[in-house]
Order: sequence, then structure tokens, then C-alpha cells
Amino acid sequence: MEDTYLELYLDRCTAQDELPPPKSPLISLVGSYDVYLPNPSNPEMAFSSHLDVRESSGDFSSVDLSFLPDELSQENEGETVIGSVDKIDKTCKTPSPQRRSPSPMQQDVGLDLNGSGVPHSQAPLYLDNADSVQPSPEEPTSDPLASITPMKPMTPASECSGIVPQLQNIVSTVNLACKLDLKKIALLAKNAEYNPKRFAAVIMRIREPRTTALIFSSGKMVCTGAKSEEQSRLAARKYARVVQKLGFPARFLDFKIQNMVGSCDVRFPIRLEGLVLTHHQFSSYEPELFPGLIYRMVKPRIVLLIFVSGKVVLTGAKERSEIYEAFENIYPILKGFKKAAVSHSASHRI
Amino acid sequence: MPGGRRCPDCSSAALVEDSHYSQSQLVCSDCGCVVTEGFLTTTFADEGNLREVAYTRSTGENEQVSRSQQRGLRRVRDLCRVLQLPSTFEDTAVAYYQKAYRHPGIRAARLQKKEVLVGCCVLITCRQHNWPLTMGTLCTMIYADLDVFSGAYMQIVKLLGLDVPSLCLAELVKTYCSSFKLFQPTPCMPAKFVEDKERMLSRTLQLVELANDTWLVTGRHPLPVITAAAFLAWQSLHPSGRLACSLARFCQVANVDLPYPASARLQEMLAVLLRMAEQLVWLRILKLNKRSVVKHIEDLLQHRHTLIHKAFLDGTGEREAQARGLQPRMEEEVGGSSLGLPLGKRPAGPGILLPPCMLKPPKQPRLPPTVRTVTGDEDISDSEIEQYLRSPEEVEDFQRAQAAGLATKDAPNQP
Repeated sequence: MEDTYLELYLDRCTAQDELPPPKSPLISLVGSYDVYLPNPSNPEMAFSSHLDVRESSGDFSSVDLSFLPDELSQENEGETVIGSVDKIDKTCKTPSPQRRSPSPMQQDVGLDLNGSGVPHSQAPLYLDNADSVQPSPEEPTSDPLASITPMKPMTPASECSGIVPQLQNIVSTVNLACKLDLKKIALLAKNAEYNPKRFAAVIMRIREPRTTALIFSSGKMVCTGAKSEEQSRLAARKYARVVQKLGFPARFLDFKIQNMVGSCDVRFPIRLEGLVLTHHQFSSYEPELFPGLIYRMVKPRIVLLIFVSGKVVLTGAKERSEIYEAFENIYPILKGFKKAAVSHSASHRI
Repeated sequence: MPGGRRCPDCSSAALVEDSHYSQSQLVCSDCGCVVTEGFLTTTFADEGNLREVAYTRSTGENEQVSRSQQRGLRRVRDLCRVLQLPSTFEDTAVAYYQKAYRHPGIRAARLQKKEVLVGCCVLITCRQHNWPLTMGTLCTMIYADLDVFSGAYMQIVKLLGLDVPSLCLAELVKTYCSSFKLFQPTPCMPAKFVEDKERMLSRTLQLVELANDTWLVTGRHPLPVITAAAFLAWQSLHPSGRLACSLARFCQVANVDLPYPASARLQEMLAVLLRMAEQLVWLRILKLNKRSVVKHIEDLLQHRHTLIHKAFLDGTGEREAQARGLQPRMEEEVGGSSLGLPLGKRPAGPGILLPPCMLKPPKQPRLPPTVRTVTGDEDISDSEIEQYLRSPEEVEDFQRAQAAGLATKDAPNQP
């Protein structure tokens, strides 16, 4: 059973090498919330949860954003969705930024499986038929899904975590391109606070999406607190609109996401002392200063804070896919420290 | 020889490039007139564009040892001597300080940071030689704030690209316990409190190992764990005379500061010991509690490896426990065994070996986050924006209130 799975997996990898990336719809795991994907070894669990979620998919079609030429996307500058999807095309191991609706946990690898010669019933891995791009609920062979990361042969699918980091904070900047009178803004706007002795910017807040903005007299603005890229963009536009209504010729230039913070939980304790020993080039663990281990991943350039309880905070990303990729990179490493057996720790020098 | 220039005095073309000390000069070899200093130009127009290399950007700064660097190096040596470190440490620490000083960020840093840097270099040296120096001790010695110290430490480690090993717990136990004033009888101390150093050291070490195995050390400051372990070890070596003594009194007698988290660590260790005691038949009968278990620490430590295996599920067992609903089951386990309640003839079911932070119930119920489908390009209604703007009347009111506020503030100042 393992062999046929491995064959299939490798077949797919070689096939993918030949196909040009944009042709294959590569929408993989969806959901921007911390979801624990059912283990492939529990088929009934996977099956039932898959069906549950599928009903709510509605008219959702596996939107293949890679097909969209850039001009069709609303605004190139702020549109990180397309950018990150392109990235996903290349890496193909990160969940896609499909945030429009809670779509079914679909893993559509997008290859022609008809020629693969692996019968569905035997393979422990359940795959959707690549031909049917629409995840219609009436699909008879609606097999439970499993996660596959085809582009990276080094991580076999059985190690894919099934956990999706949840975005907690997005920091973005935008240029309103006009000089602002901060005193006037603080006077005319209810949601603004301005204390020039403390900080040289107006701090403005809006309720929906719940965010905070720092507006400087040069016209530059920083927007923080949003939970997704689109929310950040919407919030920034609302702030710009407020400034416009106050009588300034504000524009909306160079919207850029500067930082994204995500968090998730691997749900098992981690031996931080062991991790710092084996990954000393990347890790910094000083319990006298901070209870967590600071892991500076090189590719992608993300900083992870790993705690003994198994909670992981990922920060420093400019795109959502970087956070997902970083987590998929760290998960196998963390799993290596899951077996916190006494015998393992007794061999450590204390 | 630069072309096109002539000496302004004698109009000769024999201009020679010569250095007066380290300053480059263009000198006429016929009359000795200095044509230019520090410039090598070809035309007059070029001269305006060329700039000398500023001293701060040259390597001259690295060759000379500035006064503040000398002061820093002296402080490094003094600190090493005060801490009674071996002489080799001194040279290493000095080398680190010099290396750090070559970086412009450090050279231009505030004096406070340079002071703290002295401590960082000494700490890195000690860590690399497994010398157990804690940051807290070091900060008290150099009169620095721990946050300032931590910032400088992280920066310097990154800057120098160093791989600093972690604090060696075994060495720290030995050094810290040796500093306890319990090994010689003194008049202010009851006779029963005096203890043999070697016995106490070995037992403390075993207790710290036990704490390490049961997730009480990871992520926590090491010193309070050692204090709690030393206290338990000391108590267990002569329970009859020492059970009445509290942790605070123990630290007072031993002439050691009581770190704030030590009492929490003590409770956690006692809970672990009670759990282990459940697995020993002859102790189960005794229905131990947190005080009586101290008498049996020796037995528990002797069999600690097997007891931990039996008393707690290891990693694989965890998953089943999780699937069956972790929290409520664990809470009753922990609550039951730590209170020493009799749970029938059979021992309490094995609990989960997890760090204490995972055993506590979550403070807020974890709500599934509401998924909002936002495109970022939705229309923004005017009414939504207007809710954030003040109406003209409100503006007037606000201005009046502000003026009134200022007036009352100024009023007491008026004579």
C-alpha cells in the first residue's frame, strides 16, 4: 500500500515537472483558520468532516486564480492575492489564499489521474479526479481528502501537518500623497487622538474592520490590526476616505503589506532545549530572558516564536504563503521533538 | 604625476605627490610650494566634486583604541577578576569586546549600552566555557537593567554571529548550592539545619533532573527551580527537624535571595512527586499529602525513571487521551492525585506528562473565528465614514471644552 502511494506520488512529481505551472489548477487547502485536518489514517473521520464542509460550499468553484491575468485583478499594487498564488504555483506546498468562503478542504492536485493506474480503493490517499475542476457535491467519488505536497518530494504527504496558521495581525502602509494638518484632523474626527508631545502622528481607529492607523503629517499612513490582507486594504481605504471627508485631497498610493503575523498550535509539548541543540544555527533560546525559542528561518525569511506548550507564532512575512510555508517547514522539525520520553531527555545534559 | 597642473609660484610642472605624515600633499619639487593637500585632482572643476574620506569612514578608527574602548576593556578585565574567572576567560572576553567595537553600530552606541556590552562579553565567554553565570547575577554586578541587557545581548550575538551554548544546569546547581550557608553550624541557625554539602548537592541534582524530565524547567527561569529543588532536598535529608521550616525561612537561613517563582515551582514539584508516589504500593497506602511526601523523596528519587514511566503517559499515549477529550479528564486526574484523595484500590489512572501551561484550562473559551469574506474593494458608504466625523456643533463644543480645560490648568499658576 505504501509503495503504490509512493509511486503515485513520484509519478505526479515527474509529471508536474513537465507541465507548465499555470496549466494545473493548484488550489490546495483552504481556510484561514486554525483547522485540524483529519489524519489520512482515519478515513471515516475525514470522510464525514469532508462531507459536512462540502455542503456549505455553495456555488464555490475552484477558482483558479493562476489563470487570471494581472490586469483583471482589481488593483495590482495592493493585490497580494495574485502574487501569493503565483508563489504557490512555484512552491505548491502551501495552502492557497482562498479566503472567499469556507470552501471544502479540497486538495485538487490537478493532474490527470486516469493514466496513473492506481485504483482509488486501494490507495490510502484519496484524491479528487483532476478532470472535475468543480467540486460539485453530487460528485459520486467524493473521496475523503488528504493533503498532498507534490512540488516538494522531500516532504512526503504523510508529514503534512494539516494545521493552518491563523493570521492575527497585518501591518500595511499607504501614501495619501498630500500634506495633512494633524491638529485639524484631531479636531474634526471623533476617532482620532493626537498628542504631539508623545508622538508626532494622529492615532485613528475604526470599528469595522477593527484597526488602528497612524497618520503622519507627511501624508503617510500605517494601518495595523487587520486579520487579512483584504481587510487591511479596506481599512486603509476607509481611513483615506475619512481624511478625504475632512477636506484633504487624499489619494491611495503604494498600498503595501509590510508585515504579517500568524499563530497556530501543534498541540504537543516541545523540548526547546533539544531544539536549540540540533538547530543552533537558527535558534536562540534564553529561558532567563524569554520563555520561547526564537527560530530565524532562512527560507522563507520568517521568525518563529516556539513555546513549550506547542504554540507557534510566525512573523515577518510579506505574504500569506510565506507563513504557511514556514509552518510546513517547521512542523516536521517540531514533530521530531514530540516524543518527550524520559529516556530522551535523560540523555540531555542538563 | 597628475597632468595639467603647474605650481602657482614657479609655474613648473614638476609636481610630486608626497605625504606629510599621513596627509597626502601635492608639492612642487622645484620650489617646495604645497599645491594641494589631501586632493588628487586633475582639473579645477573636479576639485569641487571630490571629497576626502571622512575619518569616521576610514579604517583609522579601527587602528586606534579610543578612550571609551580602553575604558570598556579595563572594565571587562575588572569584571572577570571580580567574578574570579580563570585568566583565559579574561583574554577571550577582551577579544570579544574588541571585535564588537569594530562594528559602527557599537562604536556609536550610548555609554549605557557600552557598559552593558562589557557584561555581554563576559557572559558569552562564561557560557562557552560552561561557567554557570546567570544574567541576573551579571546585571546586579554591572548595575544594569535586565531589559537593556537582553537587548544588547541579543544584538551582539547576532552581530558577531556567535553560537552561544545554553546555560549548563548541572554546573549552576553546584555553584548555586555551594553558595548556601548551610554547611557550617552558626549560632543563629538551629543545629538540625546544618547539612552535608555533598549529600545535598547530589540530591538537589537528582531533583532538578526530575523537574527537567517532567517539563518543569523548559521555558522557565532556571534559578527558582534549583531553589525549590534545594529546599526539598534539604528537607528530605532530615524531615523531622526541617518539615516545619518554610521556603522563605530556608532562604533566609541559607543567606540566599528567594526568587519569586520558587514557591510555584515548589508546588509543581510536590505535585509531580505525589503523582509518582501513587505508583508505589507502600506509599499509596499512606495517603500522602504535600508535607508527608517529603519524607519519602529518597525512595521516589531512587526509582524515579520507572515511576515517571508508570505515572505518566508518554507521547504516544497522549494522542489517545487528547482524542478522548483532554481537559476535563486531566483536571480530575491532577486534582485527584495532588489532593491525595483515595481513589480506590487501583492507582489513579496515569495522568498526562505535560508542561504546566498546557495543563491549565484555557482562560477564554476558544471561539472559532468568524470568517468574513472581504475583497478589500467594497464600496464604503458615506454614512459609515460620517459616523467618525464631528458635526460643526460638536466641534464648537469640543473647542470650548478644550479652552476651558486649558484655562483651569493655567488658573492655579496665576498669582
